[in-house]
Amino acid sequence: MIPALALVLGVVVGLIVGPTVPLWLQPYLPIAVVAALDAVFGGVRARLDGIFDPKVFVVSFVSNVLVAALVVFLGDKLGVGGQLSTGVVVVLGIRIFGNAAAIRRHLLRA
Amino acid sequence: MSTSLLNDLLTDHLDGGYAAAARRRAESGGAGRRTSARDRRVARAVLAAGLLLVGLLFAVAYRGTLRTAPESERTRQALVRDVEAGSARSDALQRRAETLSGELVKQRDTALAASETGDRVSTEVRRLEAATAQLAVRGQGIQVVAGDAVAREQVDPATGERVTVPPDDSGRLHDRDLQSLVNALWAAGAEAVAVDGERLAPTTTIRAAGEAILVDLRPVSSPYTIDAVGDPDRLLPRFADSEAARRYQSYTGLYGIQFTARKVGELRLRAATGPDLRHAEPAETRTRAGGSASPAGPGAASPGPSDEPGGGG
Repeated sequence: MIPALALVLGVVVGLIVGPTVPLWLQPYLPIAVVAALDAVFGGVRARLDGIFDPKVFVVSFVSNVLVAALVVFLGDKLGVGGQLSTGVVVVLGIRIFGNAAAIRRHLLRA
Repeated sequence: MSTSLLNDLLTDHLDGGYAAAARRRAESGGAGRRTSARDRRVARAVLAAGLLLVGLLFAVAYRGTLRTAPESERTRQALVRDVEAGSARSDALQRRAETLSGELVKQRDTALAASETGDRVSTEVRRLEAATAQLAVRGQGIQVVAGDAVAREQVDPATGERVTVPPDDSGRLHDRDLQSLVNALWAAGAEAVAVDGERLAPTTTIRAAGEAILVDLRPVSSPYTIDAVGDPDRLLPRFADSEAARRYQSYTGLYGIQFTARKVGELRLRAATGPDLRHAEPAETRTRAGGSASPAGPGAASPGPSDEPGGGG
């Protein structure tokens, strides 16, 4: 209950306050969102598997976001930013789909 | 190694940390029971903070996308709205000008009908008005449709697929082309001509502004419909036999432009926009309605075949 409220509160605060993202950080925002989605789906699945751990969730979320942004940043510096972004999105996308499928099996038994 | 990496990617979707943490918990299972109340509160706070962060990230990203991406789209929409409002306004003003000039003609006729000189002036004015396209015209005529080359479908020799070939620049009609077609129509004996609904007066120009063609400063677009009022049985053969018509007929095969001419039973051409009066002034208290107030411009010249509209490109 409290976690759900925290999520909603985060969204509301973000929408109302609307902190301006510095320009150099803008390109990493979409990647960060995908990484966050991966962490969230992983957390939900772990919850359903009965092995959820808040510390693991938060650490995986933060590190996912940072590593994804770092990889893209390095790619930008090396001139392969677009390709690396694609790579990150593909890997995280596969994980998101896998976790979503596991969640679906848990919830719908199908 | 590479296959195991791919295997991991395709099979292990869950972060390894969860399994490791579960194992650790199971190992210290018995001892950990005691401190669980405090632990759980800390864990919940950590989770709440993490989810707060997640929510914040989503919201910020959403706002960012909303702000940056549709900026150009919004600008475009606003421009489109502006253009539509502007042309609607222009159309309304045009209609108003037409009704007002109709009223003006009626007023003038009643004023002139009184005397013999008035009658003479009246017929003279009518003749001039017809010559300067200041009256709406209705009657038989021919309609010429000319347009840019359109995209063709072609079978790609390599793949066997049907592909559309965009027309190249040589298939585009220019202001010059419209001018020569219109001139050919005048030469064939047309009494009144309109391009895409824009009536041509002796002072009307057909010219290009960038990619667009302007008829009397109003943009027209391909395909261009040129209506010419006149005896169709005389007009159509003479036009079809003209040098310009034959040239564009050959261009249909050469460059793929559209070009057709046909007889039309009933054409309605509206009056051209009146010329700005440069020398005439409102008569003050003269009872004799003067013929001295004449429209400016070469209004008196008859729009014969040589008097081409839009001659100056």
